[in-house]
Amino acid sequence: MKITTLIPLVTAVAGAALFTGCATDAHYVKTGDREQVISLGQINIQDYANAASLAVKKLLESGAIDKVANPPALLEISRIINNTGQQVDTDLLTKKISIALLQSGKAQTKIVDKQTKGYQQETEFMNDQKATRLPDFTLSGKIIETVDRAGSTTRTTYSFQLSLNDPKAGVQVWEDEEEIGKQGTRSSVGF
Amino acid sequence: MKINHLFPVICTAVALVAAGCGTTVNSVENAQKEGQRNMVSDQRVISSPSLSRNVNVVGVNTVMTAGGLLRVQVELLNTTRSIHRFSYKFEWFDVNGMQVNNILSAPVTDQIEGKESKMISSIAPNPGCKDFRLKLIDAD
Repeated sequence: MKITTLIPLVTAVAGAALFTGCATDAHYVKTGDREQVISLGQINIQDYANAASLAVKKLLESGAIDKVANPPALLEISRIINNTGQQVDTDLLTKKISIALLQSGKAQTKIVDKQTKGYQQETEFMNDQKATRLPDFTLSGKIIETVDRAGSTTRTTYSFQLSLNDPKAGVQVWEDEEEIGKQGTRSSVGF
Repeated sequence: MKINHLFPVICTAVALVAAGCGTTVNSVENAQKEGQRNMVSDQRVISSPSLSRNVNVVGVNTVMTAGGLLRVQVELLNTTRSIHRFSYKFEWFDVNGMQVNNILSAPVTDQIEGKESKMISSIAPNPGCKDFRLKLIDAD
C-alpha cells in the first residue's frame, strides 16, 4: 500500500478518535468533583460551598455562637448585599451556613416562612404567651467581585464578608472574610 | 564546536531554567515553643505515591473546643521545589462509625509552595463526631 493512500485513512481514524475522546455525554456529577466547571466571570456552586464551609469552620472554632444565656442560640439570617455584577441568590451561601449551624446543635434559625409564622403567632395569642423570643444573633454580609486583567489573563476574586451581630448589644461579635480567586484566560473543566 | 564544549553551557541553561521554575519558601519561627501540640497517631492509605511524596503529611494534632467540638489540624510539607495544587476534604464519623455529611466536608482547593510547610484544619460538624478522615487529591 502506498503512503499516499495511507494518509487520508490515518487522518480519518485519528480525527474520529480525537473527537470521540473530546466529546462528553451528559452525566450526573457531584459538586466539587474533579470535573467541576470553573468559570472566570461568575460565582460557581463550589465557590459558595467553599466560602460557606470555611466560614462555618471559623465560626464554630471561634465559640462566638456558644456565648448565649439559653443555648442553642437563636439566629436570624439578615441581609447579604450583592456587590457583584451578576444576579446571585444569596441563599446559596446562607442556607449552607444555617444548615451546618443547625446540625451542630449550636444554633437554631428563626422562622422566615409566613404561614408557619402565622401559626406561631396564633398559638401565642391563644395561649396568652409573651411575644416571640428575639434572635440572639443576626448574620449579615456582602459579596464583592474584583476583576484584574493582564493581557488575556483575567483574575476574578469573590470576597464573601460575613458578620455575626448581637442585636441586643448592638455589636458585631464575629466577622470573617473568605476570598475565592480564579485566574486564567478562559473558563475550564477540572480543578 | 564539539558537543563536549557545549555540555557546560547546556548544564548551566538547565540549572537556570530549573531555578526559575522552582518557587520555594523560606521561613522563620520561634525556637522555644510556648504551645504544645497534641499529636495523634494516624493510619494512612496511599493510592497516589507521587502526591504522597510531593505533599507529605507530616503530622496530625487535635484539640477539643470549649463548645465540645473536635478540631483537627494536619501539617503538610511540599518536599519538592515547585508549587503544587491539591484538593482536600475532611470526612467526619460519629461514635458508631457512621459518616456525618455536611458542608464542613466540602472539598477545598488549595496550593502549597515549594518546600513550604502548611497547616490545613477542620472542625467536627457536631459534638458527637469523634473520628475523621482526610482525603487529598492532586489537582495539578
